[in-house]
Amino acid sequence: MLSKIFEALYNKVFISIVVERSKSIVYVEECSGKEILNTQSESFATTELSDKMYEYIETFISQTPFHYISILDTSNEQGAIPTCSSKDMSLFYDPSLSKHICHQNRWAYYTLKSNIDIIKYNYAKIGIDFIFSPFTILSNFFKDKIDSNLAIYILLEDNYVSIAIFDNSELLYADYMDMQHGSDSEELMIDESSDDEADLDLEGSIDLEDIDAMSDIDGLDDFGDIEDLDAIDEIDEFAESQEEDKKVLEDENLSMDDVSGFNEDYQRFSLIQSSINNFYKDRKYNSKFVESAYIADAIGVSGDLKKYLEEEMFLSVFVRHIDLGVEVCEMAKADLK
Amino acid sequence: MKYSYIRPRKKSILTSELQLLFSFFSITILMLFLTYFFLVFKDYRFEQNTNEIIEKKANLEIEIQQMKKQITFIEKEVLLAERITTKNTILKDSISNLFDLVPQRITLSQAKLLKNGLILYGITPNKDVYNFMLQAPLRSIFHRTYSSFFPTENGWLRFVSTNYIDEDEMSLKASNEDKKHQEEQVDED
Repeated sequence: MLSKIFEALYNKVFISIVVERSKSIVYVEECSGKEILNTQSESFATTELSDKMYEYIETFISQTPFHYISILDTSNEQGAIPTCSSKDMSLFYDPSLSKHICHQNRWAYYTLKSNIDIIKYNYAKIGIDFIFSPFTILSNFFKDKIDSNLAIYILLEDNYVSIAIFDNSELLYADYMDMQHGSDSEELMIDESSDDEADLDLEGSIDLEDIDAMSDIDGLDDFGDIEDLDAIDEIDEFAESQEEDKKVLEDENLSMDDVSGFNEDYQRFSLIQSSINNFYKDRKYNSKFVESAYIADAIGVSGDLKKYLEEEMFLSVFVRHIDLGVEVCEMAKADLK
Repeated sequence: MKYSYIRPRKKSILTSELQLLFSFFSITILMLFLTYFFLVFKDYRFEQNTNEIIEKKANLEIEIQQMKKQITFIEKEVLLAERITTKNTILKDSISNLFDLVPQRITLSQAKLLKNGLILYGITPNKDVYNFMLQAPLRSIFHRTYSSFFPTENGWLRFVSTNYIDEDEMSLKASNEDKKHQEEQVDED
């Protein structure tokens, strides 16, 4: 009773930490009741708790005793499973080593207990109140779509890709992939699975008419590519006519950046594709044909990924931008209720 | 609803500084309360002692009053004793004088001292010895003197002498003497 009175008197500070490939983003939200008073976001070039980051967070947590620090789980040994039954869980992972949370008694997400301890240890100086799974973020973010669609839901982070396939709130499949660790093997898998995918497409109950229509679109796209190539040639010619080596170098650099962006998008696409293949192949999962994809984009990917998914996998793709810091804060608020 | 893998830490407004502050305050308040209760207890004891002393004082005053009464009574007793002693001394002197009055030839067998008189029983060789040697001094002392004789076997006489002093005359004498004294004093002035 007394603590609730004090809680009402003090402002609450929600701090969310999102660890990316080479940096950490700290998002701070100061609330009074339900009203948001102030929001701040700061990026730190570290994946652990540095002194600067500690000082930055300390300035906020020293303001009020009612501060909540949340972090998004980025450990590789996590996932989500389409069951809450402890008997069936052993099919997917070792329950003795992991901690799981059952969501609406329909599906569960899990992570290794040791990972939770590692996170707690790494952030012991400031303390951690909440550790959220990307799958719970994903399900909360697409709450309006999950309830009434069969679709693949993808959370794109800087270094991770979380995939979940929901059929009217029932989880069918989920996968969490690290782009750095799984890149080489996944690429190999893609090459191997390309034929399988073709088989799957043939085996899948897709109308031939649809395939024809899609192949027509592909043809048109190819034609567009030819036009683009022409344009590139013209640029090259223009560059040669100007005879400016520097500009050529800059173009080369730009093209290298594009290549790396292209690579990452393609890498993400490959991961998604291989994961969906796994969903279709693995008998553990109740596989259904997925026609649409909802992407929660936390990094601002180019349109290439959408194009790949649409062209290569015939998915209807919808991209929605997500601010992970804000979403993690929302989850913390929801958890406190 | 629970979404997180871990439960949030318990939030308390009591930071370590505040805890220290509150502990100091609580100790101070506790000491103040203890001092207050000690003073209240002492005050109560003081009042109790005061009441006891007042009660004792009242009792002592009552005792003093009683003792004063006793002292007064004893003083009266002392005065009475002194008076009695004086009277006894006077009586003793009177008896001694009386026995001095009795001549050697007369033998007293019994003497009764009355409030306003004297009865003597004795033996005398004859009436003359009695009349001249004993009755004469007795008459000078007492106002009324009565004597009666009866013979014994050996020829001597047993006598009973009854002597009285009249108090009215004594008071008259005393008043006359006082007047005389006053007159003398006036003459002297």
